[in-house]
Amino acid sequence: MISDIIVVSSLALTSMTPILLGSVGEIFTEKSGVVNIGIEGIFLLSALISLIITFVTEDPYLGLFTGFLIGAFAGFIHAVFAVYLKSDQIIVGVGFNMLAYGATVLMMVSIWQAHGASPTLPTKTYVISIPLGRDVITIHPLSIMAIGLAILFWWILEKTSLGLKIRACGEDPKSAEASGVNVYLMRIIATTVGGGLAGLGGAFLTVSWIGQFTRNISAGRGFIALANVAFSNWNPLTAILGALIFGIFDVLALYVPIKLSSLYGIVFTTQNNLFLTIPYLATIIIVMIISRRIKMPRSLGTPYIKE
Amino acid sequence: MSRRPIIQMIGIEKIYPDGQYALRGVDFEVFEGEIHGILGENGAGKTTLMRILYGEIRPTRGRIFVRGREVRFSGPWDAIREGIGMVYQHFSLIPSFTVRENLYLSMLSMNKKIRREDIDEIAREYGEMIGFKISLDEVVEDLPIGVQQKIEILKTLMRGARILILDEPTSVLSPLETVELFKILRRLKESGYTIIYITHKLREIKGLTDRVTIMRRGRVVSVVETDKVSEEELAKMMIGSEEFVFKRSEVKRKEKTEKRRILEIRGVSVVDDKGVEKVREVYLEIFNGEILGLAGVQGNGQKELAEAIAGIKKVSRGRIFFNGLDITDLDVRERYRLGISYVPDSRGEALIYNMNLVENFILTSLERYMNSLKIIDWRRVRKDLLKAVERFDIKTRSLDLDVRFLSGGNQQKLIIAREFSRDPKLLIVSEPTHGLDIMSTIYVRDLLRKFRDSGRGVLLISSDLDEIYELSDRIAVINRGRIVITGDPKELPPEKIGYYIGI
Repeated sequence: MISDIIVVSSLALTSMTPILLGSVGEIFTEKSGVVNIGIEGIFLLSALISLIITFVTEDPYLGLFTGFLIGAFAGFIHAVFAVYLKSDQIIVGVGFNMLAYGATVLMMVSIWQAHGASPTLPTKTYVISIPLGRDVITIHPLSIMAIGLAILFWWILEKTSLGLKIRACGEDPKSAEASGVNVYLMRIIATTVGGGLAGLGGAFLTVSWIGQFTRNISAGRGFIALANVAFSNWNPLTAILGALIFGIFDVLALYVPIKLSSLYGIVFTTQNNLFLTIPYLATIIIVMIISRRIKMPRSLGTPYIKE
Repeated sequence: MSRRPIIQMIGIEKIYPDGQYALRGVDFEVFEGEIHGILGENGAGKTTLMRILYGEIRPTRGRIFVRGREVRFSGPWDAIREGIGMVYQHFSLIPSFTVRENLYLSMLSMNKKIRREDIDEIAREYGEMIGFKISLDEVVEDLPIGVQQKIEILKTLMRGARILILDEPTSVLSPLETVELFKILRRLKESGYTIIYITHKLREIKGLTDRVTIMRRGRVVSVVETDKVSEEELAKMMIGSEEFVFKRSEVKRKEKTEKRRILEIRGVSVVDDKGVEKVREVYLEIFNGEILGLAGVQGNGQKELAEAIAGIKKVSRGRIFFNGLDITDLDVRERYRLGISYVPDSRGEALIYNMNLVENFILTSLERYMNSLKIIDWRRVRKDLLKAVERFDIKTRSLDLDVRFLSGGNQQKLIIAREFSRDPKLLIVSEPTHGLDIMSTIYVRDLLRKFRDSGRGVLLISSDLDEIYELSDRIAVINRGRIVITGDPKELPPEKIGYYIGI
């Protein structure tokens, strides 16, 4: 039992990582008043492209870095739409998600002639392995780094002048402008950096964790990250806890059927899909419970129009 | 007072991209150390002119000199650097931030290296100068409006402003807060600050300013020294003498044959959404042919009381009777059908801005225009609306215009036209002339009088004591949810009412 808990926790730490990175990035973005629901699309794009870079250069860390750049670029594009073109941010995000899904599948097919999954990487990023009885638990340094980033971004938002300016843009851009804050610039910065964090999370999926790209590899994690933003009440520290909870459910979806079949010898076939719904059901239920007390940035999703 | 002009604006023109003229060549001059008023009706161009001076809007043509040196502002930052500060009508504080965060944020634009801890010291220094103390850890939105305004002034001073522009600063203040604001402004003047004061209220111009620039329709009509003109002369210049022939309604007030009670409120208490008791055991009566003026500072339970009468809020205790009928348990529509009508204090609550006049006109009387199949007879709506537009003198280009394009006065007229067309027996009206120009104010007040004179009842809720006195047959004062005094306006001088409002 205890070893179960330890194993689940270590696995949860892994599956938490992209969700946490996505959430922290999105919190940073949303605090400035821009909503980017394209996290899912960023995950997909940077997962694939960082994998390609890793294949070509055989350097997974360069892959991670590329993932960050891809995310930041996507964030920047979203910011241009949201800030300068005053587009409907939800529609831009939805469009981006659809584009990313289609583009990644197309790229996968045209590069590897594979329809379901890419080849597997020979080298992934470094993993800390700790033997524990019969099991070996593995911890990705990036998971620890993600927690560190959450703390860093909390600190930026709450303690620095940049954070204050960004939050001002999300609460009341007009007043922020009157106080001498460059609203457009702040929103561009926050959305770009936020996208970059999500991109890092996407790259983690392939380059650190799974080692290959599969069709729709993010499997809704981008949306779970969005749910976690609300769950955490736009606080990066609470987002760590939220991501861990979502991560645990993510693990349970795979772990419970395996455990059950090893204990009782039940073989799940199609029923397996039911277990896979666990993280999504949990998301819906958690969001339902917490949506009463959320305090979102007041100008979230509304373009700032200067006279 | 020195006669050195600190600000000169010459030949300022502003034409908006849609071809509308906001300013048609304005010359404007302010002396150092004076309180300079800008008087004009809504749309006269006062605010536009000042926003140009503050660098928020770029003029189409014209030159600006500060301390004799020509300046070209590309944004408020440039104006701030020249020592110009603006205190907005709607404050530029971020409501969810603390006072310190707000001050810190605004100081950052002046000095990137400033630390949060430095704010306390500077705030204390300037606070002492204007006689204002505040705990910097308070969240702005939890503070009364008057205090928020002082923070706004403090903020502007901290940024090194020597020239302060105030845009209709008293429109949100209680009489007491207004007095305090004037004290601060006079204190600033003594310390050598220059103040530009925008308003359409004559009394404030007379009471506060040294000189006044009067604007009308994008032009400067006149610049005068305040103590050399009367309020009436100012009014004539502001409105334009040719339009100032306004006849008060000639409807003779019907002699009250019998005093009938239209509304009776018996021991009503109302609890708001947060569970706070906002109205506490209120007893009130309104008779036919009477305007009952309910005075008090906004937020003392007026809104909750009005909504309880209209049926929007449930009462937690007490009963409400309308023409002898207990309506406590009726819903809004049933009460409206009985002849109650409610005009809320914010026009945004009464109108749907993105819908046109026709649609807004029938919002509260849909049933009258529907046939048995629930289909609206738009032709009849338009016919009635056309009549109302004519009768109430609502100025609009078309009936199909979204109401957000109407001026505040015309919006208010539309609301009143809509409610009157339902022929109510009791009108609850809250802050009916808030933000309206003089002509519209006179007109709306006259309508209320006519309504009263036709033998119906009005509950007038207003934080404007002048309005209360001008209209009311009886006055009641509400303070923290309780009616603290009721009586005849002749027996209740304003000082006494002020006292009851403030205690």
